[in-house]
Amino acid sequence: MSCPDGSCKEPGKRQRALIAFGLMMIIFIVLSGFSFLNSRGQVVPGDISFGSHMADEGKHVFQAYNCMGCHTMVGNGAYLAPDLTKEYKAAGPAWLAAFLPSAGTWPTEAAIKVQLLNNDDIAEDAGVDNIEDYYKKYPGAKERVQRRVGTTLMPNLPLSSEEVGQLIAYLKYTSAMNTEGWPPETKIPDLNKRLSLAHPVASAAAAGANQAQAAEPVDPIELGHQLATDNGCFACHATDNKKMTGPSWGKLYGSQVKLTTGSTVAADDAYLTESILQPNAKIVDGYQTGLMPAYDKLLSKDEVKAIVEYIHSLE
Amino acid sequence: MIQIQYQTQRLSMRFFILMLILFLGQIGFGLLLGLQHTDPTLLAGTLNFNVVRAEHVNLGLLWILSGFIGAILFAGPMLSKRELASPWLIKFLFYALVVTVAWNIGTQVLAMTGVAGWWANQPWLQEGLEYIEAGRAADVVILIGFAILAYVVLRTFPPVRQWNEIHWGLGIGVVALMVVWVFGLFYVPRIDLQEYFRWFVVHYWVEGVWEVIHISLVGFLIVVLFKVDVKSVGYAVFWGVTLVWLSGLLGNAHHYFWIGTPEFWQFWGSLFSAMEPLPLIFCFWHIYIDAHQNRKPLENAPAFYFILGSVVLEQVGAGILGFTMTFALTNVWSHGTWITPAHGHLALFGTFGMLGIAAAYYAIPVMRKATDFDQRLGKLAFWLVFTGIMGVALAFAIGGTVQMYYYRTLALDWFGGDVLPAMKLYRILVPTFGFVFAVGAGILAYDLLTLGKRNRNAAAVEAPVLSASPATGWSRPMTGFEAGIWLMWMWIFGGIITLGILSFNLSIVRVQGDPTIPYIMAGVGYPGLLLVTLLFVWRFLASLEARVKTAGETEEPIPDLSVATA
Repeated sequence: MSCPDGSCKEPGKRQRALIAFGLMMIIFIVLSGFSFLNSRGQVVPGDISFGSHMADEGKHVFQAYNCMGCHTMVGNGAYLAPDLTKEYKAAGPAWLAAFLPSAGTWPTEAAIKVQLLNNDDIAEDAGVDNIEDYYKKYPGAKERVQRRVGTTLMPNLPLSSEEVGQLIAYLKYTSAMNTEGWPPETKIPDLNKRLSLAHPVASAAAAGANQAQAAEPVDPIELGHQLATDNGCFACHATDNKKMTGPSWGKLYGSQVKLTTGSTVAADDAYLTESILQPNAKIVDGYQTGLMPAYDKLLSKDEVKAIVEYIHSLE
Repeated sequence: MIQIQYQTQRLSMRFFILMLILFLGQIGFGLLLGLQHTDPTLLAGTLNFNVVRAEHVNLGLLWILSGFIGAILFAGPMLSKRELASPWLIKFLFYALVVTVAWNIGTQVLAMTGVAGWWANQPWLQEGLEYIEAGRAADVVILIGFAILAYVVLRTFPPVRQWNEIHWGLGIGVVALMVVWVFGLFYVPRIDLQEYFRWFVVHYWVEGVWEVIHISLVGFLIVVLFKVDVKSVGYAVFWGVTLVWLSGLLGNAHHYFWIGTPEFWQFWGSLFSAMEPLPLIFCFWHIYIDAHQNRKPLENAPAFYFILGSVVLEQVGAGILGFTMTFALTNVWSHGTWITPAHGHLALFGTFGMLGIAAAYYAIPVMRKATDFDQRLGKLAFWLVFTGIMGVALAFAIGGTVQMYYYRTLALDWFGGDVLPAMKLYRILVPTFGFVFAVGAGILAYDLLTLGKRNRNAAAVEAPVLSASPATGWSRPMTGFEAGIWLMWMWIFGGIITLGILSFNLSIVRVQGDPTIPYIMAGVGYPGLLLVTLLFVWRFLASLEARVKTAGETEEPIPDLSVATA
C-alpha cells in the first residue's frame, strides 16, 4: 500500500507518544515518593501542639469554618483576606488568642497583656512573659497594635475557647512548615518607608489620626466603654441580653444574679468590681469557672470604676 | 432539516435546563461576591463571604458537569447508532444530581457556625477546602453519579474494537472523571499531602479529564456543524488529548511549588506546565481548519459562536494567562493573588462553560424541531458574556498586579487598611463587568429555555441577504496566515504580561519599591491581549457570517459518527 498522506506512519507515532506518557508517569511517581519521605524533615501535624491542643484538631476547626473561603493557606483559597500560613510566626499566640474570639475588632495591647499574664499556655508557648519581649519575638503583633484603627473586615465567629486554642495549634504547625521561601520576604525592611510608598499622600495624615484617637475620653461612661473595648471584654460579654461565653451586661446592674453555689447576689458596684478583679470568686449559674482572666494586674482602680459605670449605663 | 434519530437523546434536555438554572444561580452568587468585595461588611454575619464563595465555586463546577452530561447523552446515540442504555438510570442520575445540588447549597451555610459534620474523621456535611467544599455525604452520591454516567456511556458505545478517537476520548473521559474524584474523598491531616491530593482532583479534572471530554465534544460538534470528515477530527482529537496529557501530567507540578513539597517541583512544574499551551494551540489551529473545511454559511450561528469562544478563551485564559504565572519565578509573586482568578474565570467559564452552552445551542433547537430559530438573541448573548467575562478577567488581572506590589513587594498584610483600598477601582470593576456578563447570561438562558416555544414570526426577519459579490474588508475570508498572525499577537502580549510579573524580581521593584515597570507592562499586556482576542473573534465570525448561501443547495447529511477510523 502506498502512503501518500503519511497515515500509515500514524500507529507508530501514537505508540511512541504512549511510551513517552508512561515515562512521565514514572517520573511523577518517583518525585511524589521523594516528596513525602520522613528524611526530608518536613514538619507534620503530630509534631506540633499548643498547650493541650493538637495541630490536627485545629485543622478540623479550620475546615469546619471554611477559613479558606476568605483567606488563603499556602496561597490557596480566596483572596479577600490575608494568607494565614505564617500568621503565627508574625503575630504569635497571644495576639491570636486575643483576636480570634472577637475577630470584628482589633486586639489592643491590653488585650495581648491579658493573654500573656493569664494564659499559661501562651506564656509557655511564646517563651516570654512581658509585652516588650513579646513584640521583639513577634513584630507582626506590634505592627498590628500600633496601626489598629476602626473595625476589622472579619465577621465575629462563634469560636469556643477550645477551638481558639486548636486553631492556634494549627497555625503554629503551618508556620513551622518549610514552604520553600514562600511568601517572599520584603527587601524593604523599614515599615515607614513601605507605608509611605503605599500611601504617598495619606501616610502623614493617617499617622496623625492614630495619635488623635489615642486621646482618652473624659466622660466616665465613654471611658468605660473604651476600656471594655480595649481589654477585649466584648469577646465574651454582650451589651444586650445575649448569652455568650460570659454573662451579658444588658440590664445586669442592680439585678439579682444566681450563682453556681445556689445563692443569689445583687449586681452592685462591689460585686461587679470583684468579678472584674477576681472573676473566679463568684461564678454565675450556667457559666464555667476559670475562663475569664483576672484583671487585678491590668486595670487601675479608676479604670475598673469606669467599666462598672459603663455597665451601670446599660440598663 | 436535521432531526433527532434516537428518542433517548431527549434525555439530554433536562440536563441542559438544569445547567442553565445552576448557571444563573452561580452568577447570582458571583455578583454578590463582587458586591461584598466592594463592601466587605455586606451581609457579614448573615451570609458570609466564604459561604457565598463556596456556593459560587461549587455551582460553577456543577453546571459545567450538567452541561457535559447533557452533551454526552446527546452525542452518545449518534456515536453508537443505537439508543442510550438504561434510560431509567439516567433519570435517576438527574434526580440524584438535583437533590445533591440542593443539599450542597444548604450544607455550605454551616461553615458560618463551624459545623462540618465530623464523624469517623471525615467532614460529612461540608469540607471547607477550595473547590471540593462539598461534604463527604454529597461526595459519595456524586461518585455514584459518575459511576452511572460511565456505565451508561460504556454500555451504549459499540464494542471497543470499533471505537474511533471520539469514542476513546469520551470513554476515557467519563471513567477518569470518576477515578480522579476518589482522591478528594479522604481527610488528610498533613497540609502538604492534602494539597498534593486536592490538586489531583482539581488539576487532573480540568487539565486531564475535562480537557479530554472538551476536545472530544468539540470534535463531535465540529462534525455535526460543518460535516467534517470524522477521520480528520479523530486525528485532531487523538493528538489534542495526547498533548494535554504529555504536558499536563507533570504540569500539575506547578501547584506543588509552595505547599511544603520539595524545591525540585519548581523545575519540573516550570518546564512542563510551560508546554501546557501546546495542545491548546493545536486545538486553536484545528478549529480554524475545520471551520474552513467548506465555505458554506453557518446554519447554527450561536452554537459555533460559543465553540469558537470556548477554544479561543481556552487559548487566552487557560493557555496564555496560565503560562504567565506558571514559572516558579513569576508564580512566587502571583500565587495567592487576584492574578489567579483572572486566569481561572477566563479558563473555566471560557473553555468548559462555553462548550456546554454551545452544545445546548446545537441540541435544543434540534430536539424542539426549531432549527430555523431566531439567532439574534443567541449572538447578542454571546457578545455580552464574552466581553463581560473578559472584563472581569481584566479587572482581576490589573487589580492583582496592584495586589502583588502592596501585598508581596511591600509585604503589607493589612487588607482593610493597605491592600484593598489600593485595589478599590478594580473591586468595583469586577461586579460592573459581572453585571454585563449577567445580562448576557440572562438573555441566553431565556433564549434557550423558550426557543421553539416563542412566536416564530421573528425568525423571518433575518432572511439571508443574498449578494453575489464576494465579501471584502473586515469580513473577507480569513486565511491561515492571518489566523497565525492573530495568534502571534496574543502571545506577544502574553509575553509582555509574563515579563511584567517577572519584573517584580528586579531590584528596582524589590529593593527600591518602584512599581512603574510591572505596572506599565501589565497595563499594556492585559488590555492588549484581551483587545486582540476580542478583535480576532469579531474578525473570525465576520468572515463566517459573510458566507453566502448558493441557490439550490441541498443540505448535507451528518457524517456517520460511529465509523471506526483505525
